[in-house]
Amino acid sequence: MRDVAFVVPVYNEASVIGGVIAEIQQITPHVVCVNDGSSDRSAAEIVEAGAYLVDHPINMGQGAALQTGIEFARALPGVRRFVTFDADGQHLVSDALQMLELLETEDIDIVLGSRFLGSSVGASMSKRMLLKAAVRFSNLTSGVPLTDAHNGLRAFNRHVADTLEITAPDMTHASEIIELIARNNYRYREVAVTIHYTDYSTAKGQASVNAVNIAIDTLLRKVTQL
Amino acid sequence: MIEGQFIVQALLIGATLFIIFVAIRSRTAHGVSASKKLLFMLLMLVMVAAVLSPGLVTDVANLVGVGRGTDLVLYLLAVTFAFYVVNDYLRAQDNRDQVNRLARRIAVVEALERYGISHREVPQPPEEHPDA
Repeated sequence: MRDVAFVVPVYNEASVIGGVIAEIQQITPHVVCVNDGSSDRSAAEIVEAGAYLVDHPINMGQGAALQTGIEFARALPGVRRFVTFDADGQHLVSDALQMLELLETEDIDIVLGSRFLGSSVGASMSKRMLLKAAVRFSNLTSGVPLTDAHNGLRAFNRHVADTLEITAPDMTHASEIIELIARNNYRYREVAVTIHYTDYSTAKGQASVNAVNIAIDTLLRKVTQL
Repeated sequence: MIEGQFIVQALLIGATLFIIFVAIRSRTAHGVSASKKLLFMLLMLVMVAAVLSPGLVTDVANLVGVGRGTDLVLYLLAVTFAFYVVNDYLRAQDNRDQVNRLARRIAVVEALERYGISHREVPQPPEEHPDA
């Protein structure tokens, strides 16, 4: 599938990024890794694995890295479909394949992965409850009803890639993407995906307290855009 | 008593004049809007007036239903500070946004060069891609 580019934001993932890249390469050669100012060997691992390395000169956050990766991927010749994929190995390439298939067969612009339509392997009870609360908050503020507001696995077409402009540099970008779906009238669909919570991804993932930050930033964005 | 008052007045007016001097000398002042400059000058005038005749502040305070002039000054200071904090936060976000855009452009252009991909395709206006 040479028309597909995977965009993978990378921040200090040297121990796992090589494996994730190898898995993606089974379906497409276009793996765009945005190294977001990692202090470990992430950049070297990306080059060794044979992925495109786009190197942020400073750490700018996951949202900013996604936007950078999408802008680079847009310039790759022949690429029509895009996937955003986490670097810590919690997503499955098979789920991405299923989402890409949906983009081809249905009249939709963007497919979002949902943990709550699928299964979450190894998620704690408190994590699940927090995520559910985040979903309710997101549905309330964005007007786009979803079952999972903060899933890093997405597949979208050229139209979305060309018009998406993520300005929230940090973890708030997930909410912002949902707001952009509403504002730009993207046709969207949610599909069940499996998130594999390993000890590694849980330790690397965001602290639950950060939910407060995301909520406040989302409300602030609402107010400043009035 | 009277002489003590003179000392504090001299210090406060000296500080005010120094602030005006620094503000006028600043090269970056060109970018500040005229209304902000006027507001600033007005504030400086009010400061000098308040220093020269302390009773004035209390008169104004009584006029708006505050007992003491110092209370009124405190309230105004609190509001001004809150405004400053919000304004500063928003400006910091703007700055960060600009730095991010700059860094992103550097990262993308450098990567395209490294992989020999034409720059032409990089950030085009959305209308240039009709194949949605």
